[in-house]
Amino acid sequence: MIHASLLRRLRISTLGAGVLVASAISASAQDTNPLAKLEPGGNRFVIELLMDSATAAGLPSRPLLSKALEGISKKADGKRIVEAVRKRLLFLRTARGVLGPVDDEELSAGAALLEAGAKPAQLELFRPRRKGHNDLEAFIVWADFLQRNVPSEEAYSAITKLWVDGADDETFRSLWTNVQSDISQGLNPGTALQNRIRETPGRASPVPVKPPEG
Amino acid sequence: MTDSELHPYVEWIAREASRPVITDQAARDRVMAAVRAEPLPRSYFGLWGRLVRPRPVSLSPVAGALLAAGLVGIGVLAGTVTHNRDGQSTVGQPRAAVASRLPVSDTVVRFVYVAPQASKVYVVGDFNGWDTTKTPLMRSATGGVWTVDLPLTAGRHTYAFVVDGSWSTDPYAPLAPDDGFGHANSVKLVRRGTSL
Repeated sequence: MIHASLLRRLRISTLGAGVLVASAISASAQDTNPLAKLEPGGNRFVIELLMDSATAAGLPSRPLLSKALEGISKKADGKRIVEAVRKRLLFLRTARGVLGPVDDEELSAGAALLEAGAKPAQLELFRPRRKGHNDLEAFIVWADFLQRNVPSEEAYSAITKLWVDGADDETFRSLWTNVQSDISQGLNPGTALQNRIRETPGRASPVPVKPPEG
Repeated sequence: MTDSELHPYVEWIAREASRPVITDQAARDRVMAAVRAEPLPRSYFGLWGRLVRPRPVSLSPVAGALLAAGLVGIGVLAGTVTHNRDGQSTVGQPRAAVASRLPVSDTVVRFVYVAPQASKVYVVGDFNGWDTTKTPLMRSATGGVWTVDLPLTAGRHTYAFVVDGSWSTDPYAPLAPDDGFGHANSVKLVRRGTSL
């Protein structure tokens, strides 16, 4: 009699524990996987594969995860998100090939610049690094100009002129402020940049200028 | 014919064994005094003895389930702390290497958006997992200016504002490349101790 009662209790306890374990594992999986809002398998699986590929290639996977989350947040469909993540991985890979062993931030900025329309050959000029300095500001301003429809060659010439002259972040920043202000007042983007770059003081050139190939 | 008839000693032994043993009071007192004089076995009644002594434990089904859930919770927590935010395992990596990759949010950055007519403004970006409800801006006392101060890691951050449900860029920040989803983003460069 006692034996039967004990067995019954044991069965109930095991069942209850099983249900709790299953729900805890499920809740935990949902909490820790940032891609949980995507359907398991299919697109989510492809994104996870792309992130694994990035890690295996020594590239940061965080920009890919961020792009996927951005797509989810903007309610893009799964295929579009996969396409955007795949594109970002491609640009990260190209940026690594062009810029060499830079840190993740600069690599992401370089990839974004390629995404904005800069050519890999144009980016190659930035491969010889200035010691103790990164080119984040130059890349961000350059990408912005391309987004604002400044002709690609003019944007490239202006940025490389400043960079070769050893311009600091503040110089790039004020160029952006002035050009953006002129464009918002109706000036042609290319003209606005040409006008402003002429006003920017030059310095002794620490890096020899090489025209890009291709 | 039984075995007992064949072996008369068996009957005698049985009879002797079933006979009550009569001892006198003095003998009983001597035996009990000797028993009481023996010291108690310390290991049996000490702390260790109490811990290792087997005993029946009764557990209700609810208590059993809670105990199991607690153990699972500990396992889940252990699993969480051994993986970084990329979901990569940190087990086996040197502590210094893991620590050096942790982002340092030591720079407070102010986000400002001017929208006198808006009723809700959020900033959404790579620093908050692109969560459209996580970081609201507060309306200033004068009305049209919305602000929020956020601790951000040094580096390049992509973001946008969501104004009454509509995506909008920051007019005071450079544009990021096309996002691929039909909405533009802005870029903020955060340097240690300062911000754009």
